[in-house]
Amino acid sequence: MTNNRNIKKEIDVKLHDEVLRDALGRFVDQYSDARLKAYANVDSIEDLRDSLKEMKQETVAHIEEIADEFEASVKQKGGQFYRAKDGDAVKKYLLKICQENNVQRIVKSKSMASEEIHLNKFLIDNGLHVKETDLGEWMLSVAGQRPSHMIMPAIHLNRQQCADFFSQELQEKVPDDIDFMIHKAREVLRDEFLQADMGLTGANFGIAENGAIGLVTNEGNARLTTTLPRIHVILIGYEKLIPKIEDAAKILRLLPRNGTCQRMTSYMTMVAGPTPVIRKVNGNWIEEDRQVHVILLDNGRLKSAHDPKFKEVYQCVRCASCLNVCPIWTLVGGHVYGHIYSGGIGVILTGLLNSMEDFNKISELCIGCRKCVSICPGKINIPDLIEELRAQNVKNNGLSLPLKVVVQDILANRKIFHTLLRIASIGQKPVQTGNVIRHLPMFFAKLTNGRSLPAIADEPLRDRVSKLLKKNPPAPVKRVAFFSGCNIDFVFPKTGQSVIRVLQDLNMEVVFPEQQNCCGKPVLGMGDRETAKNIAKNNVIVFEEAVVDVILCACPTCAETWHKTYLELFADDQEWADRVRKITAKVYEFTSFVAEAYEKADRLIKTKGSKKVTYHDSCHMNRGLGIFQQPRQLLNAAVDYELVEMKNCDKCCGMAGAFGMKYSEISLPILKEKIENIKASGADTIAVACPACMMQIQGGLDQQAPEIKIKHIADIIAEHLE
Amino acid sequence: MKKVCSDWTKIFSQEFVNPIFWNDFELNAKAAHTEIIKVSNFEEAQMTIFNIIRSTKAKSIVAVGNEESTKIANIYNNLYNLGVQIYTDKFAIAENAPTADIGISTAEFAVGETGSVCVDCYSYESRVVGMLPPVHIVFLNCNNIVKNMTTAFKVISQGFKNGYMGFITGPSRTADIERVLSLGVHGPSRFIIIVVDVPAIGGMN
Ligand code: SF4
Ligand code: SF4
Repeated sequence: MTNNRNIKKEIDVKLHDEVLRDALGRFVDQYSDARLKAYANVDSIEDLRDSLKEMKQETVAHIEEIADEFEASVKQKGGQFYRAKDGDAVKKYLLKICQENNVQRIVKSKSMASEEIHLNKFLIDNGLHVKETDLGEWMLSVAGQRPSHMIMPAIHLNRQQCADFFSQELQEKVPDDIDFMIHKAREVLRDEFLQADMGLTGANFGIAENGAIGLVTNEGNARLTTTLPRIHVILIGYEKLIPKIEDAAKILRLLPRNGTCQRMTSYMTMVAGPTPVIRKVNGNWIEEDRQVHVILLDNGRLKSAHDPKFKEVYQCVRCASCLNVCPIWTLVGGHVYGHIYSGGIGVILTGLLNSMEDFNKISELCIGCRKCVSICPGKINIPDLIEELRAQNVKNNGLSLPLKVVVQDILANRKIFHTLLRIASIGQKPVQTGNVIRHLPMFFAKLTNGRSLPAIADEPLRDRVSKLLKKNPPAPVKRVAFFSGCNIDFVFPKTGQSVIRVLQDLNMEVVFPEQQNCCGKPVLGMGDRETAKNIAKNNVIVFEEAVVDVILCACPTCAETWHKTYLELFADDQEWADRVRKITAKVYEFTSFVAEAYEKADRLIKTKGSKKVTYHDSCHMNRGLGIFQQPRQLLNAAVDYELVEMKNCDKCCGMAGAFGMKYSEISLPILKEKIENIKASGADTIAVACPACMMQIQGGLDQQAPEIKIKHIADIIAEHLE
Repeated sequence: MKKVCSDWTKIFSQEFVNPIFWNDFELNAKAAHTEIIKVSNFEEAQMTIFNIIRSTKAKSIVAVGNEESTKIANIYNNLYNLGVQIYTDKFAIAENAPTADIGISTAEFAVGETGSVCVDCYSYESRVVGMLPPVHIVFLNCNNIVKNMTTAFKVISQGFKNGYMGFITGPSRTADIERVLSLGVHGPSRFIIIVVDVPAIGGMN
């Protein structure tokens, strides 16, 4: 794959691939329920995930010792062992085995590591006959295509396309009848198995304790590959090693359920050391021990193992479920990710195992919705690792020029930033203010069919506060500083007014430190840590000086950034880390804060009004902060309203910063689906607790369902306070 | 015949295997397209196999397990005497497995939570009987059931030093074309468990 890829164009092709859209659409609709059904008979999915995660963390912490033990076990059983530092080393070693043993024919059973190093091409170029035996992989190798999914490699094809590849390979007309094709494949590949000299497999795990490798398949091709040929070569990456035999269960209780929604795959095979093979030599049947070679592949893995952040990728068991739930992967499929691993984990693995250049091309294909994190068996923080890679990249190569201007000259400088926003509000047409403004947080949206652009308010919140704060209660129970964030300040100042009103109604004094700046999240999203640190320091100082009991955010992203990201930014800086820890202890998110106060005041009484309202869970609120009950409690208690749930209420609305602008072709279909679900719920109001979602969804409603109103929960509560 | 563990039953204890997991096992195995036939003795088992041979019009059979159990050996002898072409010698199995219609072997224990059976197949012949013919039949003792994969691996960790073993959960399957489930792509399209002995409900004692 070359680096002058035009990603936008590739995405466009995929978005117009009807076969792909249809296949992915149907799959996504079924996946989540089917997965849960597979887990219906376990006590706690969380416990299983924790035990896998802990086992893998423990392993990577001692990876060298575990690898040594694995090597010793393999050798002790009579297997040959080789450590390969990269793809070239694997190829050299493998070719030597082939030559020494007069190997001509090789059958392969799914090994992603071999695809990572482009092994097939090398072997074929060296005159070997190589066949993939997984049906999907076999069809793709005939078609000269790459897998688009780690478990369902050919999900992007329909039966007609498959039949064409069959016809092409077999040189006969094959009808597009699935049963017929399956039986044809059985016949053809059976011959390959029976004639093969060597079987080449990957491994789902390798056990240090006894040197066994484990393979999970449904077709049984791995079982044949490890049974019939006289030589077995195992290509296994360091990340697959586990210490004990019993640890395999920790993988096996999750992998099939998450990967294929099965409680177990048809075949689960373990091989430790050479096993007997019976074959005909010179007309006589003989029994002998099979030659076994284990190749332990590094290719960047050991470096990750020793990196404090990236060692997390060792928690991956390649179940591919992070693809299945990803709003981006499910729209565009796997090919646009360019390398062999796709989806969120694919973006990371491409950066770690392939190259940072390839990573750069696809680094933006994650909107940080955290859906994958909520289901990943190894509990990997996929979006955080992607952000970490972006940050490393910016550290090494800097930001591109237009972004640099925006980030370092504008966002970092509150005065310039706010002045620009005011100019924008006068012009109201961002086009007039040139290109720069379109990179600002509010303009990450793009005017297109299906979504209108948010308008900058005539008067930002900061200009309205002095009047509002005059209504502060005379004997307050608390002093609260409002951290509005850019969106509330400049796009939804009325929501800011509502927030202040709700707090004052709770007998709290509200202050609005004017020197507050953007929380810094957009800057971090682009990977510029240094600028983000400056912004964070500014905010910390300003809110320290405000001397308050509580700092309140009505935007979950702001709250999350204060709580999590600021701490991470200053992890190496004791003085600032302490200051940050102290101040963030006071930071609260609006709905959870108000729900608690209402609970104490006995105001969380369920009412039933005539207006139907449905609630959209913001990704950062729901999966980032774990807040999903409190907004519903507040809505249930809101006079006049009745809460009705919509389908996929917790699915991303497609906004998420720079992404919504640059990749509006992806963002818009996600938004469209959201609007359809809102409509189908029968609600006349959609409630949100996140201004970024509010902006995105409002843009969609304007165009697709203007009769439905969108309101921040603060607005809904405030309606009854006057 | 070479095995990973010469006597798995030595590892079983009340803690690990318990017939109370039978219902779970049956439910999950059937959900995975496994056919389960319960028989109360080995004569019935023989009849069952004979019926399968008749209904599938099978011409030749490759089978292992006779070395472990005289009862199974008897069944094979009787089938042979009834005129069924049945191969039990390892070289004969190697020669005939690619064209055989049915393969027969044994399972060590079953797993309730997943509907899987654990197969010890260190020997080449025990593997090909389960993979090459379109129908695979295994014998299972219904008392030997563990709760889940965690307990299964507790058992395995005591018996697995080297060799070849694993689990089978239903027939060979693929969904690689349009995600339509199709059976028998590489291995058998039918996986039949003959469960010997009625489950002793209420515990072993
Ligand atoms: S990152 Fe998690 S969800 Fe994705 S493939 Fe790996 S284990 Fe599965
Ligand atoms: S965080 Fe969301 S967008 Fe990013 S990889 Fe995970 S599921 Fe996809």
